[in-house]
Amino acid sequence: MSRLLLAHRRLAILMGVAAILAFIGGAGLETPAVLPAAALLAVAFFWQPSPELSQRMETFWLPLVLVLVIRALFHVFQMEGDVVVPVVDLLMLLLAAESLRSLDANNDVRLYTISFALLLASTIYRPSILFGFAFVAFLLLATLALMIGHLRVLSERHRAKPVHLTRGFVTAATGVSTVILVMSVLVFVAFPRVSQGWAGVENPTPMSMAGFSDQVALGSHGARIRPNPRIVLRVTFPDGPPEEPGRLYWRGRAFDHFDGMRWSRSDDLAPSAMPSDWYEHWGGLVRQRILSAASDSGVLFGLHPVGLISIPSRRANVLPDVAGDFTDGGREVVSYEAWSATVPPPPDVLRRPRRGRVPSPLHHLQLPELPDRIRTLADSLAAGHDTQYDRARAVERWFHEEFTYTLQLPRTPREATVDHFLFERRAGHCEYFSTGMVVLLRAMGIPSREVNGFLGGEWNDFGEYLAVSQNQAHAWVEVWFPQIGWVIFDPTPPGTAGAAGTTAWSWPGRHFLDGLQYRWDRWVLEYGFEEQSDLLDRTSGIFDALGDPSATGTSLGGRIRARFWIAGLVLAGLLGAWLFRRAGRRHSPESRVFLRLRAFYERAGIAGAAALSPLDFLDRLRRDRAPGLSHAERVVDLYLRARFSPRGIGDAGRREMSSSLKAARRAVRHAARGAARETIRGAGPERESTIGAVQGTAGR
Amino acid sequence: MRSSPRSERRRLRDAVAAFRGVLSPRRRIRFTQGGAIFTVGTLAIGLAGINTGNNLLYLLLGAMLAFIGVSGWLSERVLRGLEVRRRTPAGTSVGRPVRIAYEVFNRKRRVPTLALQLSERGLPESAFISSIRAGATESARSENVFRRRGVYPLPAVTLSTTFPFGLFRKERDVELADELVIWPSTERTVAEPTLEDAGTGDSLTVHRAATGARGEYRGLREYRGGDDSRDIHWRSTARLGHPVVREYERDDGRTLWICLDTRNRPGDHSELLVDKAAALSALASRRGYIFGLAAGTTRVSPGSGPIQLERVLDALARVDFRPDNPPLSLPGAPGICTLVRPETA
Repeated sequence: MSRLLLAHRRLAILMGVAAILAFIGGAGLETPAVLPAAALLAVAFFWQPSPELSQRMETFWLPLVLVLVIRALFHVFQMEGDVVVPVVDLLMLLLAAESLRSLDANNDVRLYTISFALLLASTIYRPSILFGFAFVAFLLLATLALMIGHLRVLSERHRAKPVHLTRGFVTAATGVSTVILVMSVLVFVAFPRVSQGWAGVENPTPMSMAGFSDQVALGSHGARIRPNPRIVLRVTFPDGPPEEPGRLYWRGRAFDHFDGMRWSRSDDLAPSAMPSDWYEHWGGLVRQRILSAASDSGVLFGLHPVGLISIPSRRANVLPDVAGDFTDGGREVVSYEAWSATVPPPPDVLRRPRRGRVPSPLHHLQLPELPDRIRTLADSLAAGHDTQYDRARAVERWFHEEFTYTLQLPRTPREATVDHFLFERRAGHCEYFSTGMVVLLRAMGIPSREVNGFLGGEWNDFGEYLAVSQNQAHAWVEVWFPQIGWVIFDPTPPGTAGAAGTTAWSWPGRHFLDGLQYRWDRWVLEYGFEEQSDLLDRTSGIFDALGDPSATGTSLGGRIRARFWIAGLVLAGLLGAWLFRRAGRRHSPESRVFLRLRAFYERAGIAGAAALSPLDFLDRLRRDRAPGLSHAERVVDLYLRARFSPRGIGDAGRREMSSSLKAARRAVRHAARGAARETIRGAGPERESTIGAVQGTAGR
Repeated sequence: MRSSPRSERRRLRDAVAAFRGVLSPRRRIRFTQGGAIFTVGTLAIGLAGINTGNNLLYLLLGAMLAFIGVSGWLSERVLRGLEVRRRTPAGTSVGRPVRIAYEVFNRKRRVPTLALQLSERGLPESAFISSIRAGATESARSENVFRRRGVYPLPAVTLSTTFPFGLFRKERDVELADELVIWPSTERTVAEPTLEDAGTGDSLTVHRAATGARGEYRGLREYRGGDDSRDIHWRSTARLGHPVVREYERDDGRTLWICLDTRNRPGDHSELLVDKAAALSALASRRGYIFGLAAGTTRVSPGSGPIQLERVLDALARVDFRPDNPPLSLPGAPGICTLVRPETA
């Protein structure tokens, strides 16, 4: 029993570990009690205190629990703060304390409950795929622990012999947990998402994303300078990805005011977004389905120029602000769709002189106090170029050819100025390049602004999506062209844009893992009414394809669907046949042995034996002097006793039936082999005589 | 081997019967305390999921519903394909443990039966079998103590299980008619029975069941437990195929009759009378007397020994008191009866 106790306790502890992992998947290591609790669980896995020591340890746990309860109450009533962290601390402590009890402590239900409460607490956050793995482990362990624990308690209560933990039992329990997992997924998928909730899901720890607030200081691009592989956007293209998805500009925020050291957004900016009818100069619309890591900036990214952003979960569109940027004013948005026209007008269109308004010219031509040499430089770069487009390209080309890219930040404030960048240092990161270009363009009288966002990304074949990480953070320039809109120019030398070249996490399986994370986000965290409708449509599409022969004959999708359905029908047929056969086997073990005996003798040549009653069958065997008669008689005798005697034949009788059946088979086979030998022996002299005849012939 | 159309039809019939069994299973499901809390928790998480739109709560809801569903499925597997045999004692006195033995054969080919409880309607204690392998037999027994004599019908054995998680108790009745006979207590102290010989009027010294005290030969009858094996009439036994014994005339005037008047209201007082009659019988048996019972219209013909005592106790267990019962007709002269009636209790 103690072995069973230990196994059960260890399973319960592992449930706790899975719950802690699930919590880490959501909140990370934010809660101070996570690591100590995990360490104590590890200790409890290998060591269990004696009942006396367990009793003494109570005096240590109780005051600690009291302190944590007071702390939680203080958080709630005095600080009016987040109650999750202190409550989780308390749960972790309780979990550790319960795990470190002696084996005879009857605390199974408490361990289960605390572990489940931790799992429940994890759902408050927006956990990563780690929660998914931990959830699967939790289900597996909970199934085993609950089954073993329940059987143990019952055996103790009824003083019955305990159940042995055989490999078969563990395998069966694992099978049961798999069934539970599949059923959970089915319920998850099918449960109608009639409501998006009144309370909503909020992420209490949104990612801090530098460069997208209202101000960006030159030379302090924050975390972007250091490699940061954290994925911020995962983008799928439902209508097919555009060419070179790794060279796309994911526009975030535009800045119009530069004070010499930092960029900011003017409060009095006039509407500067492109009118929607100007998009006819751009290429066709590209639809993007974007899963964004929750961030504190609230910026909604999209390919430039973004025409429309909609949030399916709210069934609402987001309106752009005066600068044409999209931000979410409500709670964190992590899933949305954007429509953009990504192909810019060709150079000859941009060169064509056009008249039209300049949006908020005071802002988009604004310059701080600058040294004269910058204006001189601007004039020299503009010389020889007639159109605004050619001037902008000249500046861009000048940066590409004369400057180098570096992540090294300037050492002194003087070195951090644009002037020093343009004339002395001639090296910097994307923020310097974009600032330098805007300053030069505005000095030429060309309306322009600085834009922050992400450039490129990494295409994931496993999930068929584009993963954009913080490493791809970038800054570039937008130039205003009347009747066309804002056009992108990127002065940062190609191939080194942003920190995209830096990949801190180059493990080969990262695509696979990130693909899992994407699926987790897309199909679990963001699964909603739209996805359910989509799934329903796909299912009904299969029916349509089956009902429409032309669909199966013409389109590839239709044929695939039809094959899928045929395979499904075959499977259903096999299942039905199995059930039918199974129904036919609803005999007692004694009947099965008797039926096998009868069938065997029929195959051995006693025609019609399989349809005879037991006594007629025996008569027939006696009449035919069938081999193995005595064994067959024994089988029939036991069979009749099993059927008609009120006392039955017991396990020993059933074993004897099986052994008699085997003996009868052996006897029949032995007799058959003997008969075959007789036949061969009978044919032997003929062969010999034939050989002799041949020899005789040869001898003549 | 080709199967005949008849066996195909039978299979089809079995399949239809199995399908019907699935549709209308004769099962009862009850919540355990943990199961009730679990179910309420499941509902709460479902409501929280709808309220917040948090998909992970839907995932937890799915898991909890799956646990409930799997509980129902596995408990059904546990209760199916079982053959139960029950052995009850011939009779046990009030206040002594009654052991009911069960033998359960698991007819299933692969699936074991785990955590099986066997109980009887109205009896508090049940038998428990922790595991029965597929194709194996296990036995268990329950012990109950009865406080009142009588005949307790056992119409069915209730098989139940809380496997796999203890959330619900699923029950199934197996029709297995039997009865338990609880004899009255024989512990009560009673006076030594004394009788007057009806024929002589002398104070009776009761006949002991001594060797040779057989009287005149009367005829043959079927063997009953406790009969002297020397009385078996072998020739008739061989001819009839079951044991038959010779019966002799006994001298009624030298037999102790315990006479119980059943014209009384049921209740403690009546039970006292029964206990007294039972104690007298036990005493007579211990002394080796020949004794019989007359209770209302019931008669137990005289005999001696422990088997005779069981016969008398069995009859006493079934005695029914009513004020309008017919008056006791004495088996002989009043002097040969030890009358147990309300006034004497």
